[in-house]
Amino acid sequence: MLRLEKTKESSYDIISLHGEVDASNSVELDEVIKELIDSGSKMILVDGSKLEYISSAGLGVFMSYLEDFQDQDIRFKISNLSPKVFEVFKILGLDQLIPIYSTKSEALAN
Amino acid sequence: MFKLPSIHIGKLSMLLSILVWLALLFVDLVRIFGMINTLESGISSEITWILEILFFFTLYFFYSHTIEKNKQKDFLNLIWRAATTGIFATVVALLIELFYYSLGESKLADEPFLKNFFYHVNFALTTIFLISSALLWKHLILYQKTKQVVKQWQAFEFALLVAMFFVFFNKNNLDYSFIFGMVILLVISIVLSGNLKWIPYLNFKEKWKSLLFLFLILICTGFLFRRFLVYSNAEVYQVNLTDNLFLVALFIFIFLYALFSFLVTLFNLPTSSVFEQKLTEAINFQRLSQSIKPDENEEQVLDILMDSCMSASYADGAWLEIISHGSEVASMQRRFLDQPTQEELISAIEQSSDFSKTQYPLEPQTIRLNHPKFESALILPLEVNNSKIGKMILVKEVKDGFNKEMISIIETFSRQACIAVENHRLLNQAIKNERYQEELKIAQRVQKALLPTKLDHPESFEICAYSNAADEVGGDYYDTYKLDEDRYVLIMGDVSGKGTSAAFHMSQMKGIFHSLIQLNLSPAEFMIRANSALSKCLERNHFITASIFLINIQEQKICHARAGHVPTLFYQTSENKSEFMLVDGLGLGILRNRKYENHVQEKTFHYSTGDILVLITDGIVEAKNQKGQQFGFERIRSLVEIHKDKTPKEIQNLLIDSLHAFVGGNGMIDDDYSMMVVKFLTPQDKIKP
Repeated sequence: MLRLEKTKESSYDIISLHGEVDASNSVELDEVIKELIDSGSKMILVDGSKLEYISSAGLGVFMSYLEDFQDQDIRFKISNLSPKVFEVFKILGLDQLIPIYSTKSEALAN
Repeated sequence: MFKLPSIHIGKLSMLLSILVWLALLFVDLVRIFGMINTLESGISSEITWILEILFFFTLYFFYSHTIEKNKQKDFLNLIWRAATTGIFATVVALLIELFYYSLGESKLADEPFLKNFFYHVNFALTTIFLISSALLWKHLILYQKTKQVVKQWQAFEFALLVAMFFVFFNKNNLDYSFIFGMVILLVISIVLSGNLKWIPYLNFKEKWKSLLFLFLILICTGFLFRRFLVYSNAEVYQVNLTDNLFLVALFIFIFLYALFSFLVTLFNLPTSSVFEQKLTEAINFQRLSQSIKPDENEEQVLDILMDSCMSASYADGAWLEIISHGSEVASMQRRFLDQPTQEELISAIEQSSDFSKTQYPLEPQTIRLNHPKFESALILPLEVNNSKIGKMILVKEVKDGFNKEMISIIETFSRQACIAVENHRLLNQAIKNERYQEELKIAQRVQKALLPTKLDHPESFEICAYSNAADEVGGDYYDTYKLDEDRYVLIMGDVSGKGTSAAFHMSQMKGIFHSLIQLNLSPAEFMIRANSALSKCLERNHFITASIFLINIQEQKICHARAGHVPTLFYQTSENKSEFMLVDGLGLGILRNRKYENHVQEKTFHYSTGDILVLITDGIVEAKNQKGQQFGFERIRSLVEIHKDKTPKEIQNLLIDSLHAFVGGNGMIDDDYSMMVVKFLTPQDKIKP
């Protein structure tokens, strides 16, 4: 089960993920990110405080937009990942490509 | 007699009844002869009565047998049979009367023998008519058998039986006991005559015919009864056969039932079309509900639907709009309308104030039309599996031509038709799926062949590997390669996702890995090249993780690079502990440019005898139990540490068993998972002396 919440905070579009991202619902995440990019958002923060699990399909969604972020000069950040979820990012090496912050305020400040 | 085969019972009883009748005739004529010649014949009237009862019985047997044999005949046939017997009896009686009329005052007219002979003929024919008709009525009454009706009929038969022997009791006098018996039988007859459930099943034409037949039966019964009354008043007949309670009761019964049937049929005539309509609807419903065979098409169902709906609503025209291939609307199955009229009607519907703008309304919609010919329309949406497949439009030449009942029956039809269409589609889908399953089985076999059947290894280390796909095919891959006498390569890869797409990428991965392995590259260089090759062929949101180990058995050294893959567990005997080696390394296909080079590192380490390497994919680590907990790294680590002295095969089996136990009996591991276990033995140069 995945629930997505979109909010705005100090010029950042914030996507809050609740639950699990797997192959069955990664499309929803994909759509939300695509929407934000298409709407011209330049600062996106994914709040992972309620994210319990992310599968490789979910990681694939973030990965597929890396080039777009770079080309369109979009600042894409992730914050508040639980240790377990962070480990998944780290194992794949995505922590080297996406700035991951331990708190939201830290992410917004940087 | 009962031992004879049943085929003869009919003929036998007929023969017997004829013999009994002849005996009866003989006995009575002898008696008359005696009386005329004032001789005492010595034949009491009881003998006549016994013969009469015997005659009734044999006739009853004969008819119940022959009617039983022709059970499948329809109602009209039964009534017709009764009518013909009645007509025959009546015509014979009329001819006899005519004969006497033509004789006038001649001597022959007073001849008692001839008179008695004709009396017996009339008696026999009338009895035949009465008994056969009663048995025919029985069939009509018991058409829809219920316990109650059967009991009523049995009571009637019993009463008739008693009435047969009643003659011994009252000696053919019309006294109160006779009237009493008659009243009882009359009441039972009236009760029985209420069973007219066969009438609604006649169609309009058959009802007219049955009215005619019933009318004839009524006339015949009336006429024959009148004849009987004449006989009973005449003094010429020595032994009265016809003042019999049994026969009178039968007269009453036949007449009453015919009368009731006649009246009910008559009053049923105006509504018979409604009943026929309902019957057609039921039949249409059945036709619709019969699932179509896979080689037939949906159009046939829609065809039946159109016909059924049109007949249910007396519509004057109709057409069907079916959405095919996405949104394109195909108009088909026009009925009693030409294309220009249809177009006129479409625009009339759209202009109507009743028309809701939605293209496909949720419920049937009645619309008043402003059209020179057609004044009302009904739009019926067709829905299969929650998606609209089209709509049906019925039009009528009268205003407000669709009432609630029509709409509800049409709705039911359309629902049934949609279910049939859905079943048809599901069936086709199932057949297609079966074919896909076959294809997948082939794919599974082909993919199995992509994994090595034999793992290259020297005597100085033992190795085993295992792989299981969540679906028929998967995206995990492992392999070994012998570079030269001293150097071996172990490789494990995992395509993101699972199933067919992962399997295709896995085969690409194998191709790329196989060619790169032979280039004798360092592990990091291997990953960089693999990344650049895979970047060109992987789908945008797919990536591959891989681990590579270059083992130099001469130097007891391993060079390792990890591209986003689950860290490999390395157990060291010297330290008596194990750890997961998390070397920096980005998955393949994530950065599809030269920058990838900055994100992969190499690690070189030494091993010694008894050290163990456990390569796994994330399917094992992320396997969940029923509580949603993951198998995790720690379980693997502790298991390996506990069982460090076992062979790789044993360790592998322990790990897999423990994984299955963790996931639970019926739990499915929702991802591909693979494992490779390596255990280093005594180095080669030390084995050799």
